[in-house]
Amino acid sequence: MELDISGAKVLFTVPIDLPILGELQISETIVVSWIVMLLITGLCIWLTHDLKVENISKRQAVAELLVEKANHFVIGNMGEKFRYLIPFVSALFVTSVVSNLISLIGLRSPTADLSTEAAWAVVVFIMITSQKIKTSGVGGYLKGFTTPIAVMTPFNILSELATPVSMACRHFGNILSGVVINALLYSALAVASSALLGLIPGIVGDVLSQIPVLDVGIPAILSVYFDWFSGVMQAFIFCMLTVMYIANAAEEG
Amino acid sequence: MQVQELVGIVPWTFIAQICNLFIQVYLIKRFLFKPINEMLEKRRAMADAEIQDAVKAKDEANAIKTEYEQNMLEARNKANEILVTAQKTAALQSEVMLKEASTQAAALKAKAENDIAQEKRKAVNEIKDEIGGMAMEIAGKVIEREICEEDHKKLIDEFISNVGEAS
Repeated sequence: MELDISGAKVLFTVPIDLPILGELQISETIVVSWIVMLLITGLCIWLTHDLKVENISKRQAVAELLVEKANHFVIGNMGEKFRYLIPFVSALFVTSVVSNLISLIGLRSPTADLSTEAAWAVVVFIMITSQKIKTSGVGGYLKGFTTPIAVMTPFNILSELATPVSMACRHFGNILSGVVINALLYSALAVASSALLGLIPGIVGDVLSQIPVLDVGIPAILSVYFDWFSGVMQAFIFCMLTVMYIANAAEEG
Repeated sequence: MQVQELVGIVPWTFIAQICNLFIQVYLIKRFLFKPINEMLEKRRAMADAEIQDAVKAKDEANAIKTEYEQNMLEARNKANEILVTAQKTAALQSEVMLKEASTQAAALKAKAENDIAQEKRKAVNEIKDEIGGMAMEIAGKVIEREICEEDHKKLIDEFISNVGEAS
């Protein structure tokens, strides 16, 4: 039995061929991202329709709780002056969580594609850098690379570049590992069930061995860790790092 | 079907995901944070308004209380004043009345004395005249001749007054 774990499928190709970017391929990642965005936006609209000042519904209480938690998370970690980052961090977190969990309904997670995490990490990296430049000026930012001694400059540049790379790869690796292990488990269980049912003699065994009975239920146990726990954890870590790096960048000056 | 690499960065996907992230930021801001924050703000404003109303009501109540107390004080003062005035007036009036009464009594007494004196004089005069007449008659009878009343009037009077003084 052959096991094939591949990247995102290209659903269709738009005939635009730019020199560096290549052909515009609309992959599974992009389409599922749109589905995720629709889901999140729909949820937001559902949560916030018919808001009342008094005598609130449970739905509104949940919406208020989410907003309070987001405010608390960002302001508690970064301080009041970063209030404008609340929607960004919330969007990052919720997109990450929903993207990770959407694999539960059989779609391919957008976060199982390094392009997605790289995009987020680059955005965060630009934010960190601009915050550093804002606090200590362009000169101060460039000077920061030569500390504590000038010889350290290449290593400082490397460590600076390692930030987005490590953020992207950490998230991507965790999600991809879940995908790979799930695929391995499914195929292994299929082989096991076919071998098990193949023991039944005659035509009945031949027919039953084609049905991967063990694939029902058992992968769900591992899914609790690889999809639920890992998915939520990685989203949280990504946001926490974003918040911490930007807050640190603001304090350096 | 064409498949992308398992580990690799596809430029178009990369750009699309950056755009998606920012669109998602806008959407979540527009559809979750804006309405909820507006509502929270409204609730806060309402609570503030209620507190202010309560403070205002308390102030008003205090003002009314102060006014009431002042009015009570004024009323008490006025009552005292009226009482004092009434007492003074009564005292004054009674004094006036007493004085008037005593004056009247004195006047009455004086008049009565006057009257008595007048009556006495009148009576004395009458008696004087009568006695004079009688004396005349008696004297006439005694001396058996007519005494000219006019001529002896003075004499008689003198006599009578001597008598009056003696009596």
